[in-house]
Amino acid sequence: MISKSILNAVLAKALSTGADFAEVFAERTLSKNISMIDSKVSEITDSLLSGVGIRILKGTKSVYASTTDMSYSGLINCAAQVASALSGVPNGKSIHLTETLFGDIHPIRIVPSSVPNAQKIELLKEGYFSAKNYHPEISQVMGSFLDVDHNIMIANSDGLYTEDRQVRTRMSISAIASKDGENQTGACSPGRRMGLEMFDEISPKKIGEQAAKQAVTMLHADYCPAGKYPVAIENGFGGVIFHEACGHSLEATSVALGQSVFSNKLGLQIANPKVTAVDDGTIPNAWGSINVDDEGNPSRRNVLIENGILKSYMIDKLGGRRMGMEATGNCRRQSYAWEPTSRMTNTMILAGQDKNEDIIASMEYGLYAADMGGGSVNPITGEFNFSVKEGYMVRDGKICEPVRGASLIGKGSEILMNIDMVGTDLATGQGMCGSSSGSIPTDVGQPLLRVSSITVGGR
Amino acid sequence: MNYNEFKQAVIEAAKEAGLTDYELYYSTTSEINTEIYKEDVKSFSSSKNGGACFRCIESGKMGYAATEKYDEEEAKNIVIRAMDNALSIESEDEVVLYGAGDSYQQVTKKAEALPSADIMIEKAIACNKATYEQDSRVIDATESGAFASNVTVSIYNSKGLDLNHEVSLSGVYTAAVIEEKGEMLDSLDFQLGNVEEADIKKIAKKAVEGAVEQIGALKAGSGKMKVVFSGKMMATMLSTFAEVFSAENAQKGLSLLKGKENTTVASDIVTIVDDPFYFDSSLQMPFDAEGVATYTKEIVKDGELTTLLHNLKTAKKVGIKSTGNASKLTYSSSVSILPYYFYIKPSGQTKEELFSLAGDGIYITELQGMHAGANPKTGDFSLGASGFLIKDGKKESCVKGFTVAGNFYKLLANIEAISNDLEFILPKGLSCFGAPCVLVSELSIAG
Repeated sequence: MISKSILNAVLAKALSTGADFAEVFAERTLSKNISMIDSKVSEITDSLLSGVGIRILKGTKSVYASTTDMSYSGLINCAAQVASALSGVPNGKSIHLTETLFGDIHPIRIVPSSVPNAQKIELLKEGYFSAKNYHPEISQVMGSFLDVDHNIMIANSDGLYTEDRQVRTRMSISAIASKDGENQTGACSPGRRMGLEMFDEISPKKIGEQAAKQAVTMLHADYCPAGKYPVAIENGFGGVIFHEACGHSLEATSVALGQSVFSNKLGLQIANPKVTAVDDGTIPNAWGSINVDDEGNPSRRNVLIENGILKSYMIDKLGGRRMGMEATGNCRRQSYAWEPTSRMTNTMILAGQDKNEDIIASMEYGLYAADMGGGSVNPITGEFNFSVKEGYMVRDGKICEPVRGASLIGKGSEILMNIDMVGTDLATGQGMCGSSSGSIPTDVGQPLLRVSSITVGGR
Repeated sequence: MNYNEFKQAVIEAAKEAGLTDYELYYSTTSEINTEIYKEDVKSFSSSKNGGACFRCIESGKMGYAATEKYDEEEAKNIVIRAMDNALSIESEDEVVLYGAGDSYQQVTKKAEALPSADIMIEKAIACNKATYEQDSRVIDATESGAFASNVTVSIYNSKGLDLNHEVSLSGVYTAAVIEEKGEMLDSLDFQLGNVEEADIKKIAKKAVEGAVEQIGALKAGSGKMKVVFSGKMMATMLSTFAEVFSAENAQKGLSLLKGKENTTVASDIVTIVDDPFYFDSSLQMPFDAEGVATYTKEIVKDGELTTLLHNLKTAKKVGIKSTGNASKLTYSSSVSILPYYFYIKPSGQTKEELFSLAGDGIYITELQGMHAGANPKTGDFSLGASGFLIKDGKKESCVKGFTVAGNFYKLLANIEAISNDLEFILPKGLSCFGAPCVLVSELSIAG
C-alpha cells in the first residue's frame, strides 16, 4: 500500500519529537451491503475505505492522527501532526523495516468482492423467502447480505512490516410477526471469516426459518414474570453473557487504569470452578479470527479463566506498558480512523461435564433462554444487562410455554460464581462489539449452562 | 487530486456514461480529542476523514457507490459501481433527485473553528484536577477529556443543487470514580459548547455528586410502580424509540404509528418538537441530505400525531411534501430519515412537584442496555436501571440493580406530568434528543 522508503520517512518524522515508538497503519477496505425489504432488493451500499492512522507512544502516553490523504505530503503532514504533540528530541534509533509474513489460516474459496451482485442476491432471496413464507403471521422481513474485504498494512519503528487481508461474509434475516396491532421480532445473523463458500456450511433457508420461527413464537408468548430465579442459557449467542459480564472487564483498556472489578485479581478465583474461558483469535474462518492484530502481534489462544481462576487479561502494547505485561494479540480497531486498543476476538466458555437434560431437569422453576439479544456492561461496577430474544419458562424440570420481554441483569463478579452447571456442547454466535476503538466482529460462545440465581426483568 | 478536481472528474465520468440524474454527496469530519488520566495527558488524537458518495438514477432505480480515494480512476469507478448496483434494485418506489429552488432559512449559530490542542489539554487537565478536589474518595480510575469536531456537508447534483454547510460540536467531560468500602462507583457529566468557556467546576461537581449519591444503594423491590424519568433518561428513551416517528419505518410496517396521523398517540400534555434550528445548537442544518429545506415543526401536539418524519421518497408515496428529514448515517449510507433537535416540550411543574405527585415510586437516573433491551419495532423495553426511591412525595435513598419494563407507546399515553427543565443528551450525528423529567403512571420494576 505504501512503499518502504516512504514509511521510513514517515516513521522518522513521527519520532522526531522524542516518541519511543511510532506506527503506521494503512487500510484499503471494500464493503458491500445488499438489503431487501417488502420482498424486493431495496438498497445496495458499496464503499471503499482508504486511509492511514499514525500512532506514537512515549511511555504510557499516546498520540494518534488519521487521514485519507495517502500522498507523500499527506502522510508526512499526518506524522508531523502527531509529533507536534510532544516536544522532545529524537532518540536517534534507526529503523530498518523487515517484512514478516504471518501466513493465513483462513482460506477463502470465493472472494465476495469478485462475485456479481446477482449471485449474492440469489443466496439472500433463499434466506429471505424462507422467512417470508414461513407463516401467514409474518408481516415483514428484512434481509441483508454483507461482505467485507479488509486489507491492512502495519509498519512500526521496531522494524515490523506486515500485511493481512481479512475477508468476511454475513447474512442477516429479521422477521416481524403481527397480529391485532402488535408486533414481535425474530432474527438470525450468522457470519464467518469466509467467502461465499460459507453457505455450503450454513443454509440460507435455515437462517430465514429460524428468524421467522422466533418471531411467530414470541407473538404467541406472554410477558416473562419478573423476579430472581435460576436461568439456563443456551449455547451459541448465549455466550454474550460471558462477553459482557466478564470479557470487557478483562480488557487492558479498563484493567490497566484500575477501571475494572477484575484489576489485580490474577491467580485468584473469580468464577465457579466449573468455568474455563478462552479468547481465541486463531480459530480457522471464525467471524472474530485474525492472523495478526491491528498493531502487528500474531493472534493467539489465551486462557482467561481456568477452573474459575483468573489466568490472563487481554492486552495491547500500550495497556501492556501500563501493566508491565506483554501484549496478547488482542489489539484491534474498526478502521484506520480509530486508535487501537485491547479487544476480544472469539471469546467463549469451554464445554463442561453436565448433560443438557440434567441442567433443565435440575430447575424446579426458572427460565430457559433459548436465544439472547445483545447487552452491555459498565466495567467499573461490573453491572451488566442483556436481553433474552427467545425464552421459555421451566417448571418441574420441563421446558414449558414461551415468554417475551425478559432481560437479565447483575454484576459480573457475582454471576461468574453463580454459573453452577456447564453443558457439553459448545457453539458460537456472531456479533459486532462496540467499544472505544469502534465496532469490530467478535464471536461469543458457550455450551448450555445454568446460572443458579439472577435478576430477571419482566412484567 | 483535491475534492473539487475529483468532483469535476466524477461529473465528466457521469456525463460520459450517459447519465442525466446523478448526485455527489461529500462529507468530512475534522476532529480532536484528548483524554486525561491522573492529571496528565493519557492520549491525544486528531483526524480529518470523510468521503464522497455518488448516486444516480439508472432505469428508474437508485444506485450508490462511495469512496475515500480521490483520483481519476476512482472517479470513473464509483460511477460504474453505482450504475451496476442500480441494475440490481427491485424496489418499485419512485426515486427522485431534488432540484434547486428552495429558500433556506439562515442558521443563528455558525460552526466554531476547532480549538487549539493547548486549550483542549489545559481545560481537560483542569477538569480532571477539579474532579479530585471535589471529594477525597475520588480515585485514579477517574478520567476527564475534551473533544471538538467540525463536519462539512456538500451536495452537488445534476438538477442544479450545489449546497455547502458546516456544523461543529465540542465539549468537556469528566467520568468520576469514587471508592467506598472497596466498591467503585462512577458517574459522568459533560458540558457542550466552547471548550475554553466550559465551567469545569460545575462539571466536576455534578459528576462527583452523581457517584457519591450511589453510596449505600438499596434494592428496589419488585412490582408495578409510578416512575419519574430524569430529563436525560427520558431523552435516552426518546432517542432509542425515535425511529418509530420515521415515515419509512411506518410504511414498511416497522412502526406501530403507521396511519396514526391526526390521532392521539400520547397523553394530551405531550408535545414533541423537531427543530433543525434549536437556538442553542451548533448543529443547526438549513438543508437535509437530499437538499430539501428544513423547518421547525411539532410532530406530536397535545398528544396528537401531526405528521411522521419524511424524506422525498416517503412523502411522494403518500402525496405530501417532504418534512426535510432525509439523512445519512455516514457519507456512504443510503438516504433514510432522522430528526434534528428532537425533544419533549417542558411544562410548568418542578421536578420536586413531580415527586410529590408520584407519592410513592421510583426516580430513574440511569438506564443500561438500550441497544438490546429496547425494541422499536414492538415498542417493548426491559432495561437495567438505577435511581432513587420516591417516598411520601420526596426523593429518598439510592436504588440500584433493578430492571424497568414496559412499552414505549403505552408510556407516551401514560405520562401524567412533565417538568420545566429541559435536558439534552450527547448528539448522535446531527440528531440530538432532549426531554424534561416525566412522571409515568405505571411501569414494571424488578430487583
